[in-house]
Amino acid sequence: MSDGKYFSTTKRGEIHELKEELRSLDRPKKKDAVKKVIAAMTVGKDVSMLFPDVVNCMQTDDLELKKLVYLYLINYAKTQPDLAIMAVNTFVKDSQDPNPLIRALAVRTMGCIRVDKITEYLCDPLQRCLKDDDPYVRKTAAVCVAKLYDINPELVEDRGFLDMLREMLSDANPMVVANALAALQEIQELAGPGKDLLQMNSQTLNKLLAALNECTEWGQVFFCKYNDPLYVKMEKLEIMIRLASDKNIDQVLLELKEYAQEVDVDFVRKSVRAIGRCAVALDKATERCINVLLELIQTKVSYVVQEAIIVIKDIFRRYPNQYESIIATLCDNLDSLDEPEAKSSMIWIIGEYAERIDNADELMAAFLETFPEESSMVQLQLLTATVKLFLKKPTEAAQKMISAVLSCATNETDSPDLRDRAFIYWRLLSTDPEAAKDVVLAEKPVIADDSSSLDPSLLEQLVTRYLATVAAVYHRPPETFVSRQRLAVARAEELGSRKFEEEDGAVAGNLVSDNNAAAAAGAAAAASASAVGDLLDLSEPSPAPAPHAAAAAAAAAPSAARGLDDLLGGLDLGGSGAPPPAASTSAAASSDPFASFGGAPSGGAAAAAAAAAAAGISPAALSQLPVLLSTPGGVSVCGRLVRQAGQVEYLLALKNDTAAPVDGLMIQTNRNSFGLSPVSQVLALPAPGALPPGGVTVPVRVPLAADGSKVTPPPLGTGLQVALRTNQVGVLYFNDAVPLAALTEEGGTMEAADFLNAWKALPPEASARLPLAVPSADVAKQRLAAANLYVLAHRQVPATGQDAIYATCRIGAGGIGQVLLELKFVAGAGGVDVSVKAQRQDVSQLVFDGLPAVLLGTA
Amino acid sequence: MGLWISKLWSLFGDQEARILVLGLDNAGKTTILYRLQVGEVVSTIPTIGFNVETVTYKNIKFQVWDLGGQTSIRPYWRCYFPCTQAIIYVVDSTDTERIGISRDEFKALLDEEELRDSLILVFANKQDLPNALSDAQIAEGLGLHDIKNRDWAIFKTSAVKGEGLFEGLDWLANMLKTRRK
Repeated sequence: MSDGKYFSTTKRGEIHELKEELRSLDRPKKKDAVKKVIAAMTVGKDVSMLFPDVVNCMQTDDLELKKLVYLYLINYAKTQPDLAIMAVNTFVKDSQDPNPLIRALAVRTMGCIRVDKITEYLCDPLQRCLKDDDPYVRKTAAVCVAKLYDINPELVEDRGFLDMLREMLSDANPMVVANALAALQEIQELAGPGKDLLQMNSQTLNKLLAALNECTEWGQVFFCKYNDPLYVKMEKLEIMIRLASDKNIDQVLLELKEYAQEVDVDFVRKSVRAIGRCAVALDKATERCINVLLELIQTKVSYVVQEAIIVIKDIFRRYPNQYESIIATLCDNLDSLDEPEAKSSMIWIIGEYAERIDNADELMAAFLETFPEESSMVQLQLLTATVKLFLKKPTEAAQKMISAVLSCATNETDSPDLRDRAFIYWRLLSTDPEAAKDVVLAEKPVIADDSSSLDPSLLEQLVTRYLATVAAVYHRPPETFVSRQRLAVARAEELGSRKFEEEDGAVAGNLVSDNNAAAAAGAAAAASASAVGDLLDLSEPSPAPAPHAAAAAAAAAPSAARGLDDLLGGLDLGGSGAPPPAASTSAAASSDPFASFGGAPSGGAAAAAAAAAAAGISPAALSQLPVLLSTPGGVSVCGRLVRQAGQVEYLLALKNDTAAPVDGLMIQTNRNSFGLSPVSQVLALPAPGALPPGGVTVPVRVPLAADGSKVTPPPLGTGLQVALRTNQVGVLYFNDAVPLAALTEEGGTMEAADFLNAWKALPPEASARLPLAVPSADVAKQRLAAANLYVLAHRQVPATGQDAIYATCRIGAGGIGQVLLELKFVAGAGGVDVSVKAQRQDVSQLVFDGLPAVLLGTA
Repeated sequence: MGLWISKLWSLFGDQEARILVLGLDNAGKTTILYRLQVGEVVSTIPTIGFNVETVTYKNIKFQVWDLGGQTSIRPYWRCYFPCTQAIIYVVDSTDTERIGISRDEFKALLDEEELRDSLILVFANKQDLPNALSDAQIAEGLGLHDIKNRDWAIFKTSAVKGEGLFEGLDWLANMLKTRRK
């Protein structure tokens, strides 16, 4: 007889009994049986064989029983995918139940049953529930769509559920909006970056923002989710602090309090700090903030307590003599302090309020026991606090303490700061105790939280143009940290050993740029890319002199050869040795009154600023110049084309990160649509005519002239290729774009009547809608005028609320001539409709590309 | 004494019966169920799964299980067989093409051990439609007359008109009461 039978019989008995009970016609008995099944399920027993019997209990008026059966279904449907079909009809019925709770329950459970075979049958009920009268049902259905998408994305798309979700973003109920948004977001994550499910425009955005305040914390995407990555949480915290106001502080505090009890230490610390910052910034909320901090201190979690004490110190600084009543609580937690910042904060508080803390001397004495081992931050604070204590309570104990501290700090320490401070106190105390009081116990200036101030114009730019880009996170316009194009870089280390006359071919051969390689492979046909791109073809270093190299290139790639010829030929690379043009430059510069500053070999920021002044560029403007070429450890170039007093100029800032001075700088541009080329190829560097080593930024202006003979044939492109020659690191190449404002000529206006005639006479206009917002027509006119775009007429478009502005500009460079523009927009709203008319049709793209910078005032 | 009272109660109180309504898809099972329960014709969709309702008639509480008739669901009928007092087998009398299939399913039911003691009530449904086969033809088609040693009956019904259904239930009620005694 096998022992196994004992196990099988007992087990079968139990299940069998449950089966019988589940089939019972007696309702309480049946419900009891389901409860037993669920209990067995939750402790991990396999009760999946009861599936049909449990499912048969599903159609009931008893909500509790129904919930239990649903729970069972969610658990076991996957193990019984075939039998799960028997539940479908009940779901269909329940999703039409008069009770919205049951409808929502049904749709939620349906979403949780991940059985492929039945998903198809659940689409009809889901569709109904998405349109349900009850918002709770609708929002549950929205969540269900995301779950369904995970199982069967095609089905979701075929049934149009995504469109329905998008429509739900306009739902009257904020809970529905929030859940629809969350569902779309989840689907977006599932679908990957290839799909753009959620296109934000100002309309949807406004709706979402309107719904935001009504949402629960689960729906408020703004608040931190437990599974957000840390950096996102930190950024959200920062945003929450910035947005905190008297109106919402209760909500914010509630959140921060939650965060302060999470597990991630960094996040907890920042949350506690955030509470402190709110307290300092919002005086009406300080007390509430302090109460939250006190509650957090009660948790006795060491790092929470320490962080809280640090911020309470700041609160005391901001609101002196208002909240000392909490000091007692703080003093109860001295034992948990082991971080220097927290310790010194507590010591500061004790010293500052020594007269109100009865046992201040005892507390100080306890801290002083470890004085020699403390970090200098704590030591300094201990020293000051002891002096304060002595001045406020000159008891015998205090006197003993002060002499011990002073002698220790002056005799036994290596820290000059501590020693000096101790000596000053010592002398003060020994010469004039009253003066010491005036100094040490002087009233301190009130602190403020200024971390959230942002320049309004920058803010507007960030919000209107760069929201949802990394610029909004950095709080800086993108051109300050990225260059518009990736650039060809000459490898200095490979070129450094060669003599210049040998490397005219090799320069090209050593060009390294994945971007240009791609350009060569993919877009070689594009005229703008061809010159540099095709340079890569010359991969063999050639010892031949320049004309030979050029000829070889001409044979290989005619179009590239033309560019190469222009670029390198213009620089006269074939010359014997590098003539030292620096001599003439330095001679010119030495007549400059600022030359002595610019020539300071020691470099440094002061020298750079002085040099900037010498070149007529303000240091602020210098730091704003976009990066054109970045070579770590080599020569980097920032710069921008501007128009000044009727002339196109290159404002360049050159930085030499190599170990030696770089000289012999010459510049040339490739042929371009506007014929722009430098008036002089030699760069007018400040004395000594070289870029000093060590990362000093040297500003330089390069006047450019439009030369009709160097204009490339259409189509028009704004691209500008520039070569910069040096004696030490070879030839550097970079690409730039010519901004519209650099081209429009002063005085390039016309009579209104002529404008009208010309508008009629010219070929049909090209139109585009630019995605930017203009605050008002006046601002637009101002900014257009500043960029030499002359406004001839301004009218209100009837009925649409739009402003229409008619303007003109003249672009002599490249023989483009007069350009006529019409701008239509609603002030403050997104979108500017621009129509352009000109003799040359291809001018319109230049205008569309260039106008945003003009209208945003960043040109 | 206690035993005697409970017996008395059961004599006067409601008797309960578990009934299965089976048949091919589109035979009218769900319509019959709700016609019996609420007395109205409700609009139905194919039943993927089951419906269960309680119908009280002549002091008998019928717990009526209407199971989906689609091919994919028929294999699961057997989950409902235990403790079944009666089967109402519904046939679409206009579906002459599938009478053979209906007969096969019916025969399979008769062979089920768990249904050995169940009463068999056949509804020749959709009699309101033209070209409906008569009850005799349905009985012939299903081979009812071959059934030995079992209680069965066939009724002409129209679920949409509500005809014949309660006659069938009358028969069931009588049979159940007889068996009880």
